[in-house]
Amino acid sequence: MDTSQIVMERSEKKAGGKAAFFSAELIIAVVVVGALALFPGFVSSPYTLHIMILLFLSTINGQSWNLIGGYAGQYSVGHAAYFGAGAYTTMLLLQQMQIAPWFGAIAGMGVALVVALIVGSICFRLRGPYFVLASIAVAEILRLSAMNLKDVTNGAEGILVTELPALTIAGRTITDFSSKVPFYYIGLGLVIVTVLVTYLVQHSKLGYYFQAIREDQDAAHSLGINLSFHKNVALILSALLTSLAGSFYAIYVGFVDPPTVLGLDISVQIVLICIIGGIGTIYGPVVGSLVLVPLSEALRSNLIAESIFKTGLVSETSNVGAFLKENLAHAHALIYGVLVVVVILFMPDGVLGFARKLIVKRKGGRG
Amino acid sequence: MAILEIKHVSKLFGGLAANSDVSFEVAQGSIMGLIGPNGAGKTTLFNCITGYYPPSRGDVIFKGNRMNGLQPDRVCKLGMARTWQKVRPLAKMTVLDNVMVGALCRTNSLKLAGEIAMEQLKVVRMEGKASFLAGGLPIGERKKLEMARVLATTPELLLLDEVMGGLNQSESEEIIQLILDIKARGITQMVIEHDMKAIMRISDRIVVLTSGEKLMEGTPEEVVSNQAVIDAYLGESHI
Repeated sequence: MDTSQIVMERSEKKAGGKAAFFSAELIIAVVVVGALALFPGFVSSPYTLHIMILLFLSTINGQSWNLIGGYAGQYSVGHAAYFGAGAYTTMLLLQQMQIAPWFGAIAGMGVALVVALIVGSICFRLRGPYFVLASIAVAEILRLSAMNLKDVTNGAEGILVTELPALTIAGRTITDFSSKVPFYYIGLGLVIVTVLVTYLVQHSKLGYYFQAIREDQDAAHSLGINLSFHKNVALILSALLTSLAGSFYAIYVGFVDPPTVLGLDISVQIVLICIIGGIGTIYGPVVGSLVLVPLSEALRSNLIAESIFKTGLVSETSNVGAFLKENLAHAHALIYGVLVVVVILFMPDGVLGFARKLIVKRKGGRG
Repeated sequence: MAILEIKHVSKLFGGLAANSDVSFEVAQGSIMGLIGPNGAGKTTLFNCITGYYPPSRGDVIFKGNRMNGLQPDRVCKLGMARTWQKVRPLAKMTVLDNVMVGALCRTNSLKLAGEIAMEQLKVVRMEGKASFLAGGLPIGERKKLEMARVLATTPELLLLDEVMGGLNQSESEEIIQLILDIKARGITQMVIEHDMKAIMRISDRIVVLTSGEKLMEGTPEEVVSNQAVIDAYLGESHI
């Protein structure tokens, strides 16, 4: 037996003692949520809040994909379709009919549901790489439609909305959307919803059936599992939550155009969050987001070049320094890509799986 | 009374007949052995019976219902379950979870499924391995896990595809005892097996397939003394 199996056994044993494990998990969850809820009270820097919101968005996306990709094992690389469905529906309703985004998001889920039903009825006849390709194709069709149906979507120019209607929650009316705080709380709320949905799925018949399908479709079929029904349920749950993430993104940024909400890179980003963090667990997408979001931000804002200058190895005014300053920020996509490849090569079970392996190796070393 | 009737079943892959015009009945509560050389169409017949392939011609009748064209999950719900010649553990799930997936065929409650699963693990004497990952088990235990998992679906008819393949003497003996215990519980079984001693011991009747056709059917004694069977499959040394 190799180490990874022992690791899994240990973690599963833990889950076996459900009562104690659950309460410990619950306490940690409450503490974390509490701390996050109080966070904006202590930190007012808009940039920090912006990073937190990006983290939330990434976690929602990753967690949603995890349902279909991580648990049910159907690697959809076309989740931009649902993200974009939510984003575009919300923005169009807001701009054209002045429908508040809180209702627009619900309409967006409706559109995502329709897309998911179409994808499910066609693509789930395909297995493995063929399903992946079909899922990409659907998202690309939507992107090209948004690009070319100029009368509806405004084509490549996109939709810009600057004014958001007031939102009343529990007697408090929120009108100040220039601050990031309302978005922070909306994002946190959505994270809680997606984690809760994932938790409920994992601890129900659905979760067992999804995982059985992931592990072996034929065996699952022979054990009484209706494959297409359960794959579709997984996809619909995933699509609804991804669409919420899309709506949230749209009202936060205030602008949507085809490449930013329907592009292939959005689909890939969503998959990477889980692959990097570790698929099929609740913590995976959280860890993945904690790795990817700061990494991407650090590269984008040229933190690397600045930290090199600080070490004194290269002077900022020298030729090399000027070169780095000029080019490192532009190369962020390249460096990001290389790092992702490295992680996938050396940590095939994601950061989470890798950390578990390390812990076991240490314990094993001591005997 | 026959729980399963195979009526003139043929399965064609292009022009190749993997099964042609196979007919027999399996009596309620009995064990039916299915033997034949490699490529005789034994597993194909299992696949036709359990819904993985629709038969090209003929009917599969289970408890009086025509099964042709039913999907494997429906077949399982109706009370027919199978194991796989090449075992198919749900590798990244625990042994208990594997069996629970089977048990969830009859219940929506995880708690109840967990109890049923534990019960079946005790039947195959693997309750001590409940929290192990299925992917890490040795072949003997994988086969037993597969048995526990199908038993958890509470079948009336069990189709076992070479559950003793690749096992050593004592492991095979354990499986034989298990099959006899299952029979004592009133569950009908169809067993594909190459180990002639084992199949002779457990079968009430045996069907012999060669090249997709039924060569003969009879009690174990009739089968081993039949000259056609000796020529096609057993060879002289078995007499």
